[in-house]
Parts: sequence; structure tokens; C-alpha cells
Amino acid sequence: MPSMPETRRAVVIEDDPDIRGLLVRVLVKQGFLVTEAAAGLPGVELVRSERPDLVTLDLNLPDIDGLEVCKRLREFSDAFIVMLTARADELDKLTGLDNGADDYISKPFSPRELQSRINALFRRRRQSPAVDTAARSELERATEVQQSLLPNEDVRVEGYDLAGAFRPSRSVGGDFYDWYRTPDGLHLTFADAMGKGMGAALIAATVRAVMRSMGHRRDLDGAFASASKAIATDLDSSNSFVTLFHARLDAASGNVSYVDAGHGLALHVTADGGVHRLPSGGPPVGAWAGTTWPQSTLDLAPGDALVVVSDGVLDVFDSVEAFTAAVLAAVHGQESAQAASNAILALAPAESAEDDVTVVVVRRLPETAAA
Amino acid sequence: MEFSHEVKDSYAEVRADGRLNMVSAPKLREYVTDVIAGGSSRIVVNLEKTGFMDSSGLGALIGCLKAARQAGGDLRIASVQPQVKMVLELTSMDRVLTSYASPEEAFSND
Repeated sequence: MPSMPETRRAVVIEDDPDIRGLLVRVLVKQGFLVTEAAAGLPGVELVRSERPDLVTLDLNLPDIDGLEVCKRLREFSDAFIVMLTARADELDKLTGLDNGADDYISKPFSPRELQSRINALFRRRRQSPAVDTAARSELERATEVQQSLLPNEDVRVEGYDLAGAFRPSRSVGGDFYDWYRTPDGLHLTFADAMGKGMGAALIAATVRAVMRSMGHRRDLDGAFASASKAIATDLDSSNSFVTLFHARLDAASGNVSYVDAGHGLALHVTADGGVHRLPSGGPPVGAWAGTTWPQSTLDLAPGDALVVVSDGVLDVFDSVEAFTAAVLAAVHGQESAQAASNAILALAPAESAEDDVTVVVVRRLPETAAA
Repeated sequence: MEFSHEVKDSYAEVRADGRLNMVSAPKLREYVTDVIAGGSSRIVVNLEKTGFMDSSGLGALIGCLKAARQAGGDLRIASVQPQVKMVLELTSMDRVLTSYASPEEAFSND
């Protein structure tokens, strides 16, 4: 934790350049580091990247209205939001609603009024700093746990091109992927624990540890059965579950054996532009007692890829079919696994994704390149 | 999300209208537990107006199913909408949570 007080940041979302300029001046004078946006959508993005302490928000914006902006901001930001409106009658209506804003000011406003309102807001926060800090630091800790689960070294398998990407959501979901080299090729685990926050992150950590501990067992069925039993025992008390895809690649032959417990979003993309979704073999681990999961196999021919995607990408589409087609279009013809993975991430734009987004691409190089 | 229920001859119908997510999931669990505690262990959850369900929502349905079975009854779902159906199929939970076209059909054969 830094001992120095941090600079307070503010974002001004206002389409009128004169008023915007005035707001910026007032806030800079109060010691804020200020950035500005002239419309709603860029404003939301700015708040996401700047993580300000304060947002001033005009109600009437050219793209989406201020109430909608406020709603979107509240999905990931706990900044103070002060709404500005030109109409006094709107003000009465607004103050009666719980729409996520902390204060309302009607235009025209005096700089002094704005200053005193903002000071009042920040005084209020100082009265309950303990709760605020506790909630914030739990989220930060959950983020750290989640980040620590991701592979931190480069994994290389001869004849293959690998890429993995992970974009956390503000609320910290339970996604992670893990992979490591084996004498024969590669083990890959891709999981999503139910829920969000520290609970989900801790379950993910358990799953990763258990799956790694079973890595030395050569029979996949036996290893998965033991692992799922250990995980389910842990999950039982928390009424939670985890979707889990685990695959083992034999690099020389391209043979992949895998078990899918409730994930259902792994795709076999073939060199000629075909795609086959691998249906899950049973419910998520911990969801239902007495479940067993069959092992399946597929063969990666030169130029083929195994693509595993989290449900954060699926959420953007209306159907699994539309999702599958979009992932295929994003992957097909890409130069590298990294380019393919980036293209899939782009399917779920950061501004609309409410969940973590995780992607893994295991591509077998075409024979000419592999030689 | 809005909850309501109606006790019929051989089952209790629970409606869960809205988005079944991390916020509403614990409430559904609590609501259904109350209905079961009130003496109805045969539950039909009518999902006609449940447009969205995430993993927490699925967790709540599973929890409610366990509770109903524990009480000697069962829990079935009816009028499932496309997004919810998609989640159930992807996760293979459609093998555990039996779904019916309408609430009336859910317990009509037993």
C-alpha cells in the first residue's frame, strides 16, 4: 500500500466544449488530474482506463444518454458520479430515482457550488474508509490470486504454435488456464469457477493445484476421476461448481485426448476451414454427485488448431452456432496462434464484456513450416 | 428479478421473472427453500420470463433441485428460453435438470 496520498483523478463527460472547459478548470484547481470525453461511449472507456475518483456526467449526450452511461459505469466503477442537467424539472425526477449517481447539479452552475458539492462527497467517503478499503482490497487480492494462476513462462512444443490470452473483468471471475510441457507434448487445463470475486479465485486456485498434482498419472481417465473427486469434495461446502476442460497432446502424432466437464466451448478448427465443437462429456465438476466423464480424442492434422474459449466470449452471441461461426472466422487464415487469439479476444469488446475472457489456441504448424 | 409461486394440486409452481445472475441467484435459492419448507417438495420452476441465466443462476437451480430431492420431492423446469437452454446444453446440465414445454406437463406422468 502506498503511504503517500495518491493524486485524485476525475473524468469529465460533457459534449458542450465551453462547459467542459469550465468543469476541467474547476476540477484542476481542486487538485484533480482531469481527463475529458465529449460523448458517452468514449467516456465509459476513459473511466475504465483512468479509474477516476470522480466523474462529472452530462445527462444529454450525443450518443447514449447520461443515465445509460451511469448504469454502465456502475458495473465496474465506484467513483463518485455527479450528474449535470440543464433542466430543473429533470432534476426533481432524477433525485427521486436510484440511478447510481451520487449528486445532481443543474446548469448553469456556479464553480463555487460545484466545488462545495464535490468536497461534501469526499468528506462523506472519509467517514467510512474502513469498509471501502476492505471491499477494494478484497477485489485487489482476488485479482492477484487470479493472475498468479496463469502460466508465467513461455511454453514451446516443437511443431506447434501456442498462444493464451486472459482479460479479467472488473469484478474478477473464476477463469484461468494452465499448461505445461510433458515428455510427450503438452497438458492443458482450462477452467471457470462459478461466481465472482475471491470465492471464485480461490476455487480456481484449488483446481489448478489439483490438476497439476495429477499430471504425472499416465491414464487420463483415472487422473481426471481422482482430480474431480478431490475438487468436488472442496466444492461441496461452498455450493459451487467449476467447468473444466483438460487435454493432453501427444505432439508427434497430433493426438489429443481430453475430458470436458461442462465447458462445451472447445473447438477443433481444421486446416481447410472446417470447425467441430467438442460437446461437454458431462456436468461441471461439483455440480452433481456421482457424475463420471468419458474421455474423448481428436487428431490435430498439420494446420489444424484446438481453440478453447471462455463463456465471456459466448455471452456476446445469441447462439452457440453464431459463436462457433464467429470464432472460426476470427481464427481462419491467421498467421499465428497469437494473431488468432487476439482476433477472438476482439469478438468480446472490453466495454461490453461483463465476464472474464480467456482464450487458448494450440495450432499444429503446417508440414512445410514444421519441417 | 421477481419471484412468485402458486401451489397447485400436485406441485408448486415458482416463477422467476428477469435475469437469473449472481445477484438474484441466492434469492431464488432462498425463495424455493421457503416453498419447500412450506410443505411443497414437488417444484416446477417456470422460466418463461427468465431471459438470462449465468453460472451462479445455474448453481441456484442445482441447489434448489438438491433441496427438493432431499425433501423427498423433485424439481423440474418449464418453458425454458433460448439463452437458458443454451447454458443447460453446453454444461450438460440438461441431463440433470429435466425441462418441459409447460408447467402443467412437468408432473403430469407421475
